[in-house]
Amino acid sequence: MYALGLLCTSVVVWHVRSQRGRQIILLGASCGFYASWGPWFLGALVGSSLVNYVLGRQIRRTPTRPWLLLGIAFNVALLGFFKYLPGIVSQIVGQTSTFSRIVLPVGMSFWTFQALSYLLDLYREKELDPTLLEFCLYMTFAPTVLSGPICRLPDMLPQFREYRPLTRAGAQAAAQRIGLGALMMGLAQLLGAGLRPGHGINNGFDGAGMLAGSDVWLLAFGYGFQLFFDFAGYSHIAIGAASLLGIRLAENFDGPYRSMSPSVFWTRWHMSLSSWIRDYVFLPLATMRREMWWRHAALVLSMIIFGLWHKGAPLFVIWGTYHGILLVLHRLWQRLQHDLNFRWEGTAQSAFSWALTFAVMCLGWIFFRASGVKQALGMFATLLSLASYVRPVLPTDLYFLVATLILGYFATTALSARTDAESPVLSWIPMELRYACYAVALYLIVFRAAQPQAFIYSQF
Amino acid sequence: MTHAIHTLRVLIAISLFVMVLEICARLDDYISYRAPILDTYSSASLYENDQFGKRGRPFAQYRKWQLNELGYRGPRIDKDRIPIVIFGASETFGLYESEGKEYPRQLERELNTCTGKPIYQVINVAYPGQTLSTATRRVPEIVARIHPMMALIYASPTFYIDFPLRRSSALPVQAEKLPAFEFRIGERLQNVAKSLLPEYVQTGIRSWQIQRSIGSKSPMERLPQEALNYLAEDLTEMVITLRAYCVEPALVTHATIFGAVSRSPNRAMLVAWRKFYPTLQEDGFLDLEMRANRTIREVAVQQQVALVDIAGELPGDRKYFADFVHFTDAGAALMAKDLAAGVEPLLRRWSNYSDNATSSSTSCNSGSAATR
Repeated sequence: MYALGLLCTSVVVWHVRSQRGRQIILLGASCGFYASWGPWFLGALVGSSLVNYVLGRQIRRTPTRPWLLLGIAFNVALLGFFKYLPGIVSQIVGQTSTFSRIVLPVGMSFWTFQALSYLLDLYREKELDPTLLEFCLYMTFAPTVLSGPICRLPDMLPQFREYRPLTRAGAQAAAQRIGLGALMMGLAQLLGAGLRPGHGINNGFDGAGMLAGSDVWLLAFGYGFQLFFDFAGYSHIAIGAASLLGIRLAENFDGPYRSMSPSVFWTRWHMSLSSWIRDYVFLPLATMRREMWWRHAALVLSMIIFGLWHKGAPLFVIWGTYHGILLVLHRLWQRLQHDLNFRWEGTAQSAFSWALTFAVMCLGWIFFRASGVKQALGMFATLLSLASYVRPVLPTDLYFLVATLILGYFATTALSARTDAESPVLSWIPMELRYACYAVALYLIVFRAAQPQAFIYSQF
Repeated sequence: MTHAIHTLRVLIAISLFVMVLEICARLDDYISYRAPILDTYSSASLYENDQFGKRGRPFAQYRKWQLNELGYRGPRIDKDRIPIVIFGASETFGLYESEGKEYPRQLERELNTCTGKPIYQVINVAYPGQTLSTATRRVPEIVARIHPMMALIYASPTFYIDFPLRRSSALPVQAEKLPAFEFRIGERLQNVAKSLLPEYVQTGIRSWQIQRSIGSKSPMERLPQEALNYLAEDLTEMVITLRAYCVEPALVTHATIFGAVSRSPNRAMLVAWRKFYPTLQEDGFLDLEMRANRTIREVAVQQQVALVDIAGELPGDRKYFADFVHFTDAGAALMAKDLAAGVEPLLRRWSNYSDNATSSSTSCNSGSAATR
C-alpha cells in the first residue's frame, strides 16, 4: 500500500508545476503516511512543528540565548517525556504507573533532532526563512519521518522550492536504490532469523548463556552486519523514495566497515546523526576550553549523548563511553606517532588497521544488542577466556551464513568500486548473469524478508 | 542480426531468471527442511491410502509436519507413558501452529505439568479431512497399536454440509497423488500475491468463485436436521465402538473464530469459510455450529460421556484463530489449557478406577486396554 501511495504521490508531484501546490501535496501525503502509524502520533508531530516554528521565528528576530535555551528545553522535555520518562518511572515504581505506559511516537528522536538543528542554525544566524508549510513539510517529510536520515533545513529548503523534472535515468536509479535497500533489509532479516528456524543471530543473543569465544565473535560480526544491512538498507529505500518525490537526501552510510580507524568509521556510519552530534554537540563543547583533556572529555561526552539518543539505558551509556574511549585512544595514538615521528605505512599497516577497527567496532555492538549489562559483560568475559573457544555451540550454518554474507559484501563493494558511480547496479557482469542475480535478490526480498520482523532502528 | 541476438539474450536472461528463482526455492526448502532438491516435495507426500482411505505415511515429513512411526503427527510412541488419543480433522492435526505447538502436543505438556511427571502421551490421530465415520473404522487398528486409555473426539461439523458424501457407506477421503513435477516457486508466488491483496479484494474473488461453483443452484439457508442426525449417529457409533474396546471417550464441542455468540460476525471470514462449502449460505455456518454443538452436548448426555464444552470457552478472536476454525499458537495453547482442565480430573478418576478394577473387565475387545 505504501509503495502504491509513493508511486501515486510521485506521479502527481511531477505533474504539478506550482511550488505551493507541490508542497501541499507532499505535506498531505506525508501527514497521511505518518497518521497511518497512529493518528495521535501525527498530533504530537504537528504540535511540535508548530511550537518549533514559532520559537524559530522568535530566534530569527532576536537570536538570544534565552530563546534558544527555551527551544532546546522544549524539545528535550518532549523527547524526555515520551522516550526516557517511561523507562525511569518503570524502574522506580514498576509497570503499574500510567507514565510507564507512554508510547513513543514513531521517529520522534529523528524529527526532534531536525527541529533542534533548525533552532540552532537560526541561533547561528543562518539565513533560513521557511514558511509554516515548508517547515511542517521538513518535519513530516514521509521518506525521513520514521527513521531518518536526519535532515537539515538548509539542504531541504531550496529543494522544496525548486522544480526538478524526474528523468528516466533518475527514476531508474531511484528504483534500483529502493531495490538494493529492500535486498539489504532482506539480508538483515535472514541474518536475524537464520537459514533454519532458531539458527539466527537473534536466537544466538537470546540464549547467550553458554556461548563459546568463537560464538561471541560470530554474534558480534553477525549483528554488526545485521544492523548495517537493516539500517543502511532502510536508508537506501528512504533516499530512493525521496528522489522519486524530487528531493535528494544526503547519504547516511558510506562503507563504514571499510574504515581504517574509529574516527573514520564515525564519519561513515549513520552519517546524518554523527554529523549532527559533531556540529551541535561536540564542536560547541570542544571549543569551550582549550586543554587537551577537555577535548577528550568532550569526545566521550558526545558519544555518550550519541548512545543516549538511541535509548536511555545503562547499556547505551556504556556503548557511548566505549566508542568515546576508542576515539580518544585513536587520537592519543596519532599524537604519539607524531611526537615520536613514527610512520608505519603500506599494505600490512592498512590490513592491520582495518582488521583492528573492524573487530573493535563489531565488538561494540554487543552493548547495543545485549539484553542487559550482565549479558554483555558475560560475553566479553567469554571472549577473554581461552578455554571457552574449545566447543562452539552456535549452529554451523550460522557460521556459514555470516561468513558468506561478510565476504559477499566485501567482494561486491570491491567489484562495484571498479565501475563508475552512475552505472546501474551490477552493470559489470553480463546481462544474463545479472538477471540471475536479480532473481536471487528478488527471492531474498520477497520470500525471505516477508517474514514478520521489525526494522531494528524503528525502536529508536 | 544484432536485434535477433539481443532478443535471444533477453530470452535467455528471462529463462535464467525463472530458473534461478526455482533453484532458490528448492535450496531454501533443502536448507530449512532438508527437503529433496530434485524430487517432488508436496504435502501429498505425508499421506498414503489403505482400505479406509487416506492415512499418514510412517516417518513422512513435509515442512513443519513430521509423522511418527505409525503415521501420526508428533513424536514416536513412548510405551512407558499412558496414551490418550485425539480424533479429529485439520483443526486437531494442526495447520498454522508452529512445530510442537499444535493443541494435542500442548495438552500433553499441560497434563504432565498437572501431574508433575511425564506420565501421559497425547497422540494426535487426526488428519485433514478425516470424517468421524472413517475415524470410527480406524478404532480397532488404533487400539491394537496404541492401547489408549482415553480418546477425545473433536469433530468438524462442516463435513456434514456434504452429508450424503461423508456417510460411512460412501467412499472415504483419498490421499492426493504426488505430482510428477511442480514449480515450487509457484506456490510461494501465490501466497505472496494473496498476502498483498486487500481483504475486500480477496473476499470479492472468493464470492465470485462461490458463485461460479454453485452456478444456477440455490444454496441452502440452513443445514437440514437430517445432516445433524447423521452427526449424532456418527458420534454415537464412535462412542460405542471406543467403549467396546475399553477406551473412555470424551466429546469436545467445536470452537470457531466467531465465538460462542456472534452478533456481528466478520462477513469476510464467513465468505472465506463458505468457499470450501459453497452450498451453504454464510449465516448457515453460524447456525450449523450452534446446532452441531447442541447435538454434541445431547449425545454426551444420552451416552453418558464426558463432555469438554470448549465452544463457550474459547473467545472468538484473531489472536486465537488463524482462520475460521484453525488455531494459532496462542489459540492452541488456550485450547490445551481448557481441555486439560476438563480432562485431568477424569483421568485421575479413571486411573484410580482402573487400578482397582484390575483385569475384571473381560468383556472388552482389547485385553491390553482392559487391564489399564
